[in-house]
Amino acid sequence: MAIIEVKQLSKTYGQGSAAVTALDGVNLAIEKGQFVTVMGPSGCGKSTLLHLIGGLDRPSAGSVFIEDKDISMLPDDKLTELRRRKMGFVFQFFNLIPVLSAEENAALPLILDGVKPEIAHTRAAEWLARNQMGDRLSHRPDQLSGGQQQRVAIARAMVADPLMLLADEPTGNLDSRASDDIAALLRHAVSDWGRTVLMVTHDPRIAAYADRIVFLKDGRVVDDTLLDGGKAENTRMLKEKVDRL
Amino acid sequence: MRIQWLLATRYLRGRLRRSVLTTLAISFGVAILFGMNGLIPPMLEAFRHSMYTSAGQVDPTISSVSNGTFNQSVLNEVSSTAGVEQAAGYLAQTITLPTSLGGSSSNALSGVSSVNLTGIDPAAAQSTHAYSMLSGRFLSAEDTEAVVISQALAANLNLSVGDPLTLPATSGTAMLTIVGIMNVTSPTAVNQVLTPLPTAQSVLGAAGQINSIDVLFTASADRASVQAALAQRLGDTYKFGSVETGSEFTTALSLGSAIMWFFGIAALLMAAFIIFNTFRTLVAERQRDLGMLRAIGAKRSTLEGMILMESLLQGILGTAIGLVLGALLTIGMLRLMSSFIQSYLHASVGGPIFSPGTFVASILIGVGFTVASAYFPARSTLNVSPLEAMRPAVGTTENRRMHNRAWIGLGLIVVAGACLFLNNIGVTTLALLAFLVGLILVAPALVRPVAVVFSSLFGFIFPRENALARENISRQPGRAAITASSLMIGLALTIAIVGMVTSTRFGFMGYLDKSLGSDYIFMPTSLVLGNGNLGADPSLEQKVLQIDGVSEVTAVRLAYSQEDGNNLEVLGIDPTTFPTVSGLEFVHGDPQQSYAALAKGRSIIVNGIFSATYNVNTGDRITLKTPNGDQVYTVVAVAMDYLNAKLATGYISQTYLQKDFNVTNDVLILVNQSKNADKSKVLTALQEQAHNYPAFTLLNSAAFKQSQEQIFSMVMIGLYMMTIILTIPGLIAMANTMSINVIERTREIGMLRAGGATRGQIRRMILAESLMLSILGTLLGVAVGLFLSDFIIKAMVVKGFKLSFYFPTSGILIALVVGILVGVLASLAPARKAARTQIVEALRYE
Amino acid sequence: MSVRHALLGLLSGEPRYGYELRAAFMELAGGAEAWEVKPAQIYTTLNRLVESGLAQKNSPDGDGTDEKVVYSLTAAGRSELERWLGEGTLDDPQQDTFFLKLMLSLELPGVEPARLIQTQRSTLYQELHRITSVRTRLNPKTELARILLMDKATMHLEADLHWLDMVEARLDEVKKQPVPRPAMRPRGRPAKS
Repeated sequence: MAIIEVKQLSKTYGQGSAAVTALDGVNLAIEKGQFVTVMGPSGCGKSTLLHLIGGLDRPSAGSVFIEDKDISMLPDDKLTELRRRKMGFVFQFFNLIPVLSAEENAALPLILDGVKPEIAHTRAAEWLARNQMGDRLSHRPDQLSGGQQQRVAIARAMVADPLMLLADEPTGNLDSRASDDIAALLRHAVSDWGRTVLMVTHDPRIAAYADRIVFLKDGRVVDDTLLDGGKAENTRMLKEKVDRL
Repeated sequence: MRIQWLLATRYLRGRLRRSVLTTLAISFGVAILFGMNGLIPPMLEAFRHSMYTSAGQVDPTISSVSNGTFNQSVLNEVSSTAGVEQAAGYLAQTITLPTSLGGSSSNALSGVSSVNLTGIDPAAAQSTHAYSMLSGRFLSAEDTEAVVISQALAANLNLSVGDPLTLPATSGTAMLTIVGIMNVTSPTAVNQVLTPLPTAQSVLGAAGQINSIDVLFTASADRASVQAALAQRLGDTYKFGSVETGSEFTTALSLGSAIMWFFGIAALLMAAFIIFNTFRTLVAERQRDLGMLRAIGAKRSTLEGMILMESLLQGILGTAIGLVLGALLTIGMLRLMSSFIQSYLHASVGGPIFSPGTFVASILIGVGFTVASAYFPARSTLNVSPLEAMRPAVGTTENRRMHNRAWIGLGLIVVAGACLFLNNIGVTTLALLAFLVGLILVAPALVRPVAVVFSSLFGFIFPRENALARENISRQPGRAAITASSLMIGLALTIAIVGMVTSTRFGFMGYLDKSLGSDYIFMPTSLVLGNGNLGADPSLEQKVLQIDGVSEVTAVRLAYSQEDGNNLEVLGIDPTTFPTVSGLEFVHGDPQQSYAALAKGRSIIVNGIFSATYNVNTGDRITLKTPNGDQVYTVVAVAMDYLNAKLATGYISQTYLQKDFNVTNDVLILVNQSKNADKSKVLTALQEQAHNYPAFTLLNSAAFKQSQEQIFSMVMIGLYMMTIILTIPGLIAMANTMSINVIERTREIGMLRAGGATRGQIRRMILAESLMLSILGTLLGVAVGLFLSDFIIKAMVVKGFKLSFYFPTSGILIALVVGILVGVLASLAPARKAARTQIVEALRYE
Repeated sequence: MSVRHALLGLLSGEPRYGYELRAAFMELAGGAEAWEVKPAQIYTTLNRLVESGLAQKNSPDGDGTDEKVVYSLTAAGRSELERWLGEGTLDDPQQDTFFLKLMLSLELPGVEPARLIQTQRSTLYQELHRITSVRTRLNPKTELARILLMDKATMHLEADLHWLDMVEARLDEVKKQPVPRPAMRPRGRPAKS
């Protein structure tokens, strides 16, 4: 089953002559347990795609289906709940609340969902331990390195046991060593923790950790490659389209 | 609940310095509001008291139509009338002091020939007059044969506390003991002897009788209706002396309270600005975190709750501190001012008066406004998608909105300016509001232009930092405008007050000079004409004229009349001599022609109050009620005179005063001496005449003018102090905002330092920003200040004071200096902090 | 070329059999996956070394078959080895197969350069993915050398991908310029003037 599916998804910003089309009729299906990367030149719409799938913004046209449910029709409260329970987010910057400790940050989604603090903190501590952050539970973000902050962010993303992780340039701010660690962790999330991961990046080295790369250009999908040699469904259709150009 | 509490407290603790500063900002706002409103009642009271007591007048004085005595039971009728706070009965009479009892002979050149014996009810009298004792004590309820005498009298008769004073009495003589000597500054109470009422009654052989009642209305009473009630109750055997005297003070008082009310509103505005600005900043800073929290699934209501809680905590704490601060501020100010007020106005200022209303209002504003200032911006942040919150919208839409608003604002300003030319007070008030609103709308659009202009000027002082400073300010024009505005209000008030003072000084005091232009004045017992003064027959004037060295003499006579049911004073002047010795300040009409008209027929010059209150203008024909029937007079001019500036007065020739009102006695005599006269000889001769007519006191005009000016100055000092109370918080608010600015830009400053900026350059950049902000505030302040001064002048003109608009140059200069000072001072602490930023720490700061 | 010198290096310690050398070489080079050499290639190279006088053959068994021959380093061989070790090494990146493909696609009808680039990109990514998987399975405590080799491969792939992006960005400009052709000298006798 395609856990994420987008149909004819479009997003335009601005109006009139200043209008910018970020996405132009994108169709995509992502299976459960896949590690998908979206790549492309700047302005190709990759982050926009991620944000629309994550319910952070509403599409101008088209729909987003999560587990076969059209989320673009959901009211804000329901969307919020979806994000809290079914999705985990990792951003490039400003991931953590600066005035909370690592453990408190990681526990946030559960606390926001009304889970008892003791339980929330225990689960948070568990996930932090799995991310090798077990000895830094009480550290504040400004006491952590970039890589450590992203580990906390990933722990937070996992704590509510979500279906999927959505990562927007998660290694953009990190050095190569830390980047590798984070990418490996995301890989881990797929292979050992059974999640689906959708990641946006421009770093090929990080993209290589994924199973599949979707290439965007000018708001459209121009290629879709399975990295272990097979061809994704999309690609056949795409090839026909592109060859016609 | 818990998550909101957790986040709220963490944010407060995590950004402790910031939280402290924002809480302080709230405190300042509340302190201003609370303090100012606690200051106003006692100031008003002191003002009220000083006006009453310096003139020795209260609200109407009731006396018998026949000027005789009446039964003191009338007191009860008066006190029990609604609207009357206090009624005090007096029995006063001038008693000649025979030589055998120490008085000087009428030929003597010094000494005392008569005393003014006044029987009082000690408690009641003290509530309406302020007596300051030099030695001994005041009269008390238990005293019987005691007296309190003036220091002049004591000096003249060589008496001190404990000595006996023997006065002639209907029973022969009365020996009374001096229990106190009082300091008298009123020129009319020089030879005053105060004694308990029963004693006076026995000395004068008038048991159970009084001859005047001083009435004090309650502060909220409608004077006209209370007086009407009294009149009805007492009947027409009683007259209200100086009824208009009472209303004279109420005019001044209502002006005074209008000014106070004004300060109260200004305080409110300042408080609002300061609080709003601070919280705007907080929400803007929090935007990204809010977006992120939304992204990971926080409900809007959860986040709204967090903001509410945070702002509530700060609001409550800030308000509590503000109340304490405000109280301390007021107590301090009052203490500072009380010594002034005591020595010059003879009023003691009590402690601050904080009505329950003031408490409630301050708390509501403090807490309520804080929460609102945080909540509404937060709500609009939360209404956008989490994505937009995390990546704030690009400037284009913001700019367009700002420009639209600026155009509307400009329109409002132009309209407001045009309204100034219509001399309608109601329209002017609206215009003032429109101007203020217009300015607020225009201000953000002005930020960049002002910054650009001044940055090029600053280029000389801050060659490298000015561009950076300019850009920093222009980035958030809304915030810059609001910061500048809190300074603006304080400065605008300064300019307006200075403008008003200048105009009043020149206008008001201008005609003081004219009115009291003579060298000497024979002044009746009360400062203001009226109150049953006997006056003198024309022989006094003649005698004075014959004194060697006297060049000109003119006398003024007094009658009462009514025009169209309205009371007014009618003064009889000699159209020939009056203009040479004294004079009126003509508003309307030609002096020469007017005086000539007075001589020729039934013409009348009216004063400003008359004209404004009864809507009477040059050319109108008015009907005056006289003992000889109704008479029609033609108004030939409108003019002002210091002594009667606050009463409805008309001036006619003495000929017609005699014809129509049967008045021939002089109540005021103005005397000029020639340039090469022997001054001491003239003085002596005049004093001799004064002794013969104890109803009069001889005054040196110069000395009298000085005493009036002093009173005036003291009031103005009080006003200046209030202005300072408002400006200083503006300064502190700016320093506060600059500090918050610096904290927010820690990371950016770290980057600048890392990039090679020296500490000095950082300091200078902050200084440049602060200066630009304060210049903007000063410019705005000058604009509003000018508008305000014009408004105030117009308001006073409407009330009947002829004042013209004097450009408050000194006020503007003061504002400029203060503005620059504020700019520099406000930046000192934040600049130092910014310069000391640890680079590495700053770069880690989020 | 470098196979020759690597063999010299491998011989500098002790004499070895031909088959030993092959195994040692592949191990040195990072395993069969990294550099597969056929036995024939090894023996040919060894023979050339002997012909050049840089190595010598010994046949302790006197058999004459290649497998039983022991090879050792000569003095000349040792100096050559030292010379090679002392100088810098350049592998030629300008001999790039994809570049040939791209140039051809500019000329040949029916072959779209953009498509070519995208296909190459996908391929590079697949390769990068493979390398990354291999690398993650290596033990940094014992196989660090191999990890470093994987890193090199990764970096080159990254560089290639980066280069692809650049080519893609400037493709339109390249298409407009004339395809490089050699200056042809006319055949035959020059026309009589």
